[in-house]
Amino acid sequence: MTRILAVDDEPLYQHLYKVNLEKEGYDVVTSSNGEDALDMVTSRHPDLVVLDVMMPRLDGITTCERIRQFSNVPIIIVTARGEENDRVRGLNVGADDYMVKPFSATELIARVRAVLRRSQTSEQPTQSRYFVHGNLKIDFARAEVWKDNKPVFLSATEYRLLIQFAHHVGEVMTAEELLVAIWGSAYREDKEILWVSIARLRQKLEDNPHMPQHIVTRAGLGYLMPPL
Amino acid sequence: MNQISTKPDVIKPEYLYTIGNIITQATEWKPALDEISQLVHSIIIFDNLAVYLSDSKNNSVDVMYARAMGRGRKAEADVSWGETLANQIIACNQTILREPSPDPNQDRLQQAYMLGIPLTAQKNCLGAIIFIRFGGPSFDTANQKMAEFIAGQITLLIQCQNLQLEYQKLEVQQAQAQIQENFISTITHELRNPLGFIKGYTTTLLRSDTTWDQTTQQEFLEIIDHETDRLEELIENLLDSARLQSGQLKMQFQPVYADSLINTVITRARLHYPDLVINIEMNKNVPPIIGDPGRLAQMLENLISNAVKYAPNSDVVIEVHKEKEYACISVKDHGPGIPEQYIDHLFERFYRLPNQAPNVHGSGLGLYICKQIVQAHQGFISATSLMGQGTSFDVRLPLKS
Repeated sequence: MTRILAVDDEPLYQHLYKVNLEKEGYDVVTSSNGEDALDMVTSRHPDLVVLDVMMPRLDGITTCERIRQFSNVPIIIVTARGEENDRVRGLNVGADDYMVKPFSATELIARVRAVLRRSQTSEQPTQSRYFVHGNLKIDFARAEVWKDNKPVFLSATEYRLLIQFAHHVGEVMTAEELLVAIWGSAYREDKEILWVSIARLRQKLEDNPHMPQHIVTRAGLGYLMPPL
Repeated sequence: MNQISTKPDVIKPEYLYTIGNIITQATEWKPALDEISQLVHSIIIFDNLAVYLSDSKNNSVDVMYARAMGRGRKAEADVSWGETLANQIIACNQTILREPSPDPNQDRLQQAYMLGIPLTAQKNCLGAIIFIRFGGPSFDTANQKMAEFIAGQITLLIQCQNLQLEYQKLEVQQAQAQIQENFISTITHELRNPLGFIKGYTTTLLRSDTTWDQTTQQEFLEIIDHETDRLEELIENLLDSARLQSGQLKMQFQPVYADSLINTVITRARLHYPDLVINIEMNKNVPPIIGDPGRLAQMLENLISNAVKYAPNSDVVIEVHKEKEYACISVKDHGPGIPEQYIDHLFERFYRLPNQAPNVHGSGLGLYICKQIVQAHQGFISATSLMGQGTSFDVRLPLKS
């Protein structure tokens, strides 16, 4: 049976989603905050997530971003009328569609059906939320990094750089590619920033930063995280 | 007889360093000018010193500083002499050296020699500084250079102080803008929720592709009804708050009897909250209050609905007694209580206790409105609370004398 995860901090909205979508024959599970939602994506394997943007603590956009770190599950973000920024941001971080509150029950059902129809034609694996590389472990859902089972604290940039490698294991990426992906096209030529960040990452993650095993340099070509 | 030694056109660097130092250490220009005038008195030699600043709004010039260096004249009494010169300096933004017109009748020692320098920063003339010397000789070039130097430095200080004031004003404005913005986003959120539920549940019932059983229909209709009430209450609160802000909330004062007021309030409360247990402790001999019965009832109902919302399952006690010339009405609950650090903020507009559960809604306006109503009655409202035991909201209203 198709399972839908509905995320909203308002119990009445959770109830609204449940009564309408269960009538359509879907199995509906609910969550009231972003952190729980992340856990439920990995534990309950929903076929679709309906995600409210306005939530306290971990907001909807960040939750969407984090889900996309490890899953292609279709996501419909739910925003307030007039908040065009939210819609754009949501779509930019990987939402498949959006819906505006207040919405009618029929609109909800129509959107859910449309997004499910589109996604059924393509593969949608939910990868593991964990990534392991030797003594290095990344929890995508919580954005946490562990070395030898001890937590490692990375800056936001260092984390983004690391997961870029984690998502491209075995692929050599040029300095330019990395700079544009992490810092933006304005930094395309700014090699120093990349060197410094890689050096810092190696300091934090490698047993011997001078003989790195996680982030390896390929002279003249770029950098990669070698397959194990 | 001229004991003033004429110095060559050179100013000793030490004086400049010291003046520079005074300026950088100073937080205010007047004490700095005190120090500087003490320092340079022996070089420039002047009897009086005055600073005039133009008031850009009134287009007038005010004397902001005056100092007499001796020779027996009181600066304060004579500053009018500088005003004309100050206006001239400001008009042409240039140094003016004024010598007294020869007057055989006037004692030579009384004749005023004046050196006036504009206080200019970035082509903007703020005013003038005027040195006066009685009995001559005239100020020489070295004096003029030194005076111009001092004028420049003092202008920087004055500008700095002015900018500080402007900055503080901007900070206040920004704080107010922030409150406005928080207000708008809170209200938007609070208004949208009931609307969203009403739309959601009505369209659910209206679905043509399915039917709902009787119990479910009833359940949805009750939700719609409840949310409509919530929306209405919110809109009323918003309007009241706006009217109170602009002083437009009209109140009709008349004698109000406490027992009648409380009875009205309790009857309505029992309708809205049928499960609520309300106990009354009322002293029957309380003389009438001067007030607007509708607004007083609104205020008390607000306190009761707060108790229902924030101290669910608690009973409510309404206590009335007379204290000197006031009627004291307390609305008490035995709920979780309010932490001490938040009590002072309770009556602030849009204030809500942090860490509320997600489905406990509020605009932060209720207590603000209560306070405004009570204050309009020349009364007082306060709150006391004990964690784990309960909260009491105490209102004192003046009695008819």
